[in-house]
Amino acid sequence: MTEQHDQAGKLVVLERFRQVNRSFPKTKEIMEWRGSGRKVFGWLCTYVPEEIMHAAGILPVRIVGYSREVDLDDGNAYMYVNNCSFARSCLQMGLRGEYDFLDGVVGGSTCDGARRLFDLWRSYIKTPFHHVVTVPRKYTERAHALYYQEVLDFKSHLEEHLNTKITDEALYKSVQLYNESRGLLGKLYELRQREKPPISGAETMEVSNASFRMPKEMFNDWLKELLNELKSSDRFYSGRVRLMLVGSVLTNAEFVRFIEEQGGLVVTDELCTSTRYWGDLVTFEGTNSPLEAISRRYLNNFPCARMFPSEERFNRIVKAALGFKVDGVISETIRYCVPYAHDLPLLEKRLGEHGIPMLALDVEYGTSGSGQIKTRVQAFIEMVEARRR
Amino acid sequence: MNSTGSGNKLGSVIRACRLIRRMLRADPEARQSQFMYYQMLEDYFTRVLRAKEEDGFVVGHTVFFPAEIIYAMGLVPMHTETATWTMALFTGDCSDILASGARLGMAQEICTPHRGLTGAFASGALPHPEVMLWSNMVCDNTAKSGELIMEVCNCPGFFLDRPFKRSQHEIAYLVSELEDMVHFLEERSGKKMDWDKLSEIVARMDRQIELVRQINELRKNVPTPFRPQGFLELLTVDYLFPGQPEALEYLETLYRELNEAVKVGKGAVKQERFRLMTLFIPPMYLMGFLDRISREYGAVSVIEPFFTFWGEGRLDPSHPLESVARKSYMIPEMRMYGPLDDRALGAIVNCAEEYKIDGAIYYADVGCRHSCATIKLFKDTLADIGVPMLVVDCDVVDATVTSEEEVSEKLQQFFELLEDR
Amino acid sequence: MKVAGIDIGSLTTKVVIMDDSKVISYVVNQTGDEVEQAARQALEEALSKAGICTQGELYIISTGIGSRGLQFGQGQKAVATCLARGAFYFFPSVRVVIDLGAETSTVVKVNERGRLIDWANQDKCASGTGLFLQQVAKLMQMPISEMGKLPIPEKAAEITSTCAVFAESEIISHIHRVPPTPKEEIVAGVYQSVVGRLMSLIKRVGIAKDVVVTGGVALGEGLVRVLERELGFSVLVPDEPQIVGAVGAALIAGETAKRGVSQ
Repeated sequence: MTEQHDQAGKLVVLERFRQVNRSFPKTKEIMEWRGSGRKVFGWLCTYVPEEIMHAAGILPVRIVGYSREVDLDDGNAYMYVNNCSFARSCLQMGLRGEYDFLDGVVGGSTCDGARRLFDLWRSYIKTPFHHVVTVPRKYTERAHALYYQEVLDFKSHLEEHLNTKITDEALYKSVQLYNESRGLLGKLYELRQREKPPISGAETMEVSNASFRMPKEMFNDWLKELLNELKSSDRFYSGRVRLMLVGSVLTNAEFVRFIEEQGGLVVTDELCTSTRYWGDLVTFEGTNSPLEAISRRYLNNFPCARMFPSEERFNRIVKAALGFKVDGVISETIRYCVPYAHDLPLLEKRLGEHGIPMLALDVEYGTSGSGQIKTRVQAFIEMVEARRR
Repeated sequence: MNSTGSGNKLGSVIRACRLIRRMLRADPEARQSQFMYYQMLEDYFTRVLRAKEEDGFVVGHTVFFPAEIIYAMGLVPMHTETATWTMALFTGDCSDILASGARLGMAQEICTPHRGLTGAFASGALPHPEVMLWSNMVCDNTAKSGELIMEVCNCPGFFLDRPFKRSQHEIAYLVSELEDMVHFLEERSGKKMDWDKLSEIVARMDRQIELVRQINELRKNVPTPFRPQGFLELLTVDYLFPGQPEALEYLETLYRELNEAVKVGKGAVKQERFRLMTLFIPPMYLMGFLDRISREYGAVSVIEPFFTFWGEGRLDPSHPLESVARKSYMIPEMRMYGPLDDRALGAIVNCAEEYKIDGAIYYADVGCRHSCATIKLFKDTLADIGVPMLVVDCDVVDATVTSEEEVSEKLQQFFELLEDR
Repeated sequence: MKVAGIDIGSLTTKVVIMDDSKVISYVVNQTGDEVEQAARQALEEALSKAGICTQGELYIISTGIGSRGLQFGQGQKAVATCLARGAFYFFPSVRVVIDLGAETSTVVKVNERGRLIDWANQDKCASGTGLFLQQVAKLMQMPISEMGKLPIPEKAAEITSTCAVFAESEIISHIHRVPPTPKEEIVAGVYQSVVGRLMSLIKRVGIAKDVVVTGGVALGEGLVRVLERELGFSVLVPDEPQIVGAVGAALIAGETAKRGVSQ
């Protein structure tokens, strides 16, 4: 894979994002926020409506595990080795005090790993506020009604705890801000639709990782700067093949770089921490109520594999793959991640119907890649390349 | 893939039930309730096979699924997990259906009951239902299994979305899901829901739960009267016969037997030394062995917080669908589903104290992710009240994960620990 | 009153003779293939060392892998029970016992009265600590006692495999590197990987001081130093760490004999 940087060198803003990621969770920005007397809440899962917290003056940061593969002794002792390493990793960080600065934790009843993570967090880690949002698995009107009620309950619980009122006006403002982020990230991804994108998959991941761990206002400003940098630079990447990375949660940019080093340029992705996170905008179709708009958006968002029917997720993946002219899809499933593992046979079939081959990798959360993975990825890229000719 | 399959495995279950009844006849200690139980099991699976032969309407469903609805519509329920583990229990070998599951592309991490049941459909060991009903009780595996089963059995299906917490609006949503499910079944089967019948079933179900509570009261007695591992009967009766007359007959008979035993002070084992709490399902293929060990060491499982210890509440036959929804929140194992708040953990503590428990055994099924994540929490909760807990790594269906010898060593060590205190 | 404890491990058989709660003799022999024979022989030797002529009224409790089905003696007790008793005998301040045997590692939790409250085994893996370290010593071409005394350097070679089979090939590559990795670093790396696995086990019962380390492997100071580094505090090791289980069995023999009960 060849790359070219502009005369000035590396992307300045990217380094800033990298620094945020490297120092997470106790980043400069988060500590400053706390230092000014404001609260920080940790959240897990794309079905937790961030705007509600933001409108209450809280900095929401996403709980993730270690950014590399580590020994998970404590995680294993509490969660047992047969649960996904992402959940164990998050729990271990929590148990070891890495998240002791959090004023609250919020989760969704999304999958077994998340569910148990929250059960154990509640019992063993003393965070002052704890809330779980019930998330239905369907998209029916009744499911929407249930989820709306849950969002309302969450808002009430928050108001009670903070002794404050979360106004519609504040919610509206938060929605604007978050929509702006989503739009900007969308613009960043659009650049990767080019035949020679100016930014790699690994670099993009640094940006999307930072998006959920710093004040949104600051993030938006930095991203605007980055987009400007990219506009005025002549850097480009071209790989032997164009790939899409799909799967559960992945935050280690090293893994993406590892794949790209084999010649497969990752031009788009579908992960808990990327497009599934920021993909959709909150719209006010058919309602004036920000709470209704927020709740509708969050349930209809790019689906997690836990949602029913699975076709919704497959359709969106195929659409993105075609839109970004992807040659092949690499799926990474964390070992023991049930929802994503179950989807694999049918996902592969659907992609195959559009002539897009898929490679299914079984990984541990935080991995940077391994000899075995390298061999498989290389073989896959070769195969995809041959097919393309 | 043929749609009735050879029916072989279910046939083996039926034959095994007959054999067990014969053996019970030769056992002076055998109770009437045991005969009834094995007759009920035999009848249940016979009904499924007969329905397939005679073009009846078999409704496959997953665990904790409200079969009351299926019965009320005069359809034939087939509880897929029970079918799988009775096959494991009675034939002792599940490797063929597990292999069949693997051939379908099911990952090794998918727990054996689910790999086994889908594999059993694929291999024909289980007859194909006319429709498949599944829910998210009790875990992601169950929630994601339906679509593949529908494809393997080439039948339509319905996913019941059971919400996480028990607020009013969540129960209302569950009721609406049940309504949708009734419509689905009516459309597919051509039969109409008999709401009166459902009310009757709910009334019986309410009585059923009351009887289990009363039986539990008797089990508090020192010595405890209910046979070791007998709780599996209570569990299976609830899974397969919710609100059915035969379930009431069985429970009433069992209650009478236990009441008699308590009156004369007859314990389940000759010399009761250890009163245990069982926290998850023991491996099916070790049942006989565990029974022997129980008698040898005088150790009896007196209560099972997540199998037999029902949550509070009564069912109201005048609101049948709502009652069926509420029941889902009373089911002992759904308390373990979560959230694991003080109510759930409190149930363990209450049981330990009320039943005078010496120790607890947690059978850690290696394929069951969400339950293994509770091990430390439960162990710590019990340690806080001075009750030790043994963890036995095993698999409910796959006999290669642990051996009788290993389990025997662990149990021996544990009983020594209890003795030493 | 004279009692005996027999601990039959996969590699070694230990016999301890006690009188009025004092150890009067002990023997550590190879178990070999004939378990019954090894036990009898070891007992005879121990009796002879103690100056006792006949087995006579001796109350014997056995423990360990090979104790099931032993044809003599007054009973058999499980390993963790005996380890708890034995460790408490040597160090009443003990709360956690880490027994490092040839094939199994066992961690035992005791309360302030020396009563067993929890335990955990590492037996799922094909190779246990002792046998694995013996293999390593062979690869290092030195007697295991010498290996145990090697200094622990700051830097340890990375041995990523917890599985002995794969670890062996890693060790071999370290030996054949150009230049070869220093022996102390390889050995330290091996200890690190063993201790890493042990930590998972220890966390299952929960770390609590004082920690007593027993079993043949405890004779190797190097591993114990690395364990202490990982725990963050010093551990207690009896002068004869191999006989702790047998001492525990003997103590139980004494208690049972006094009660006039025989199993």
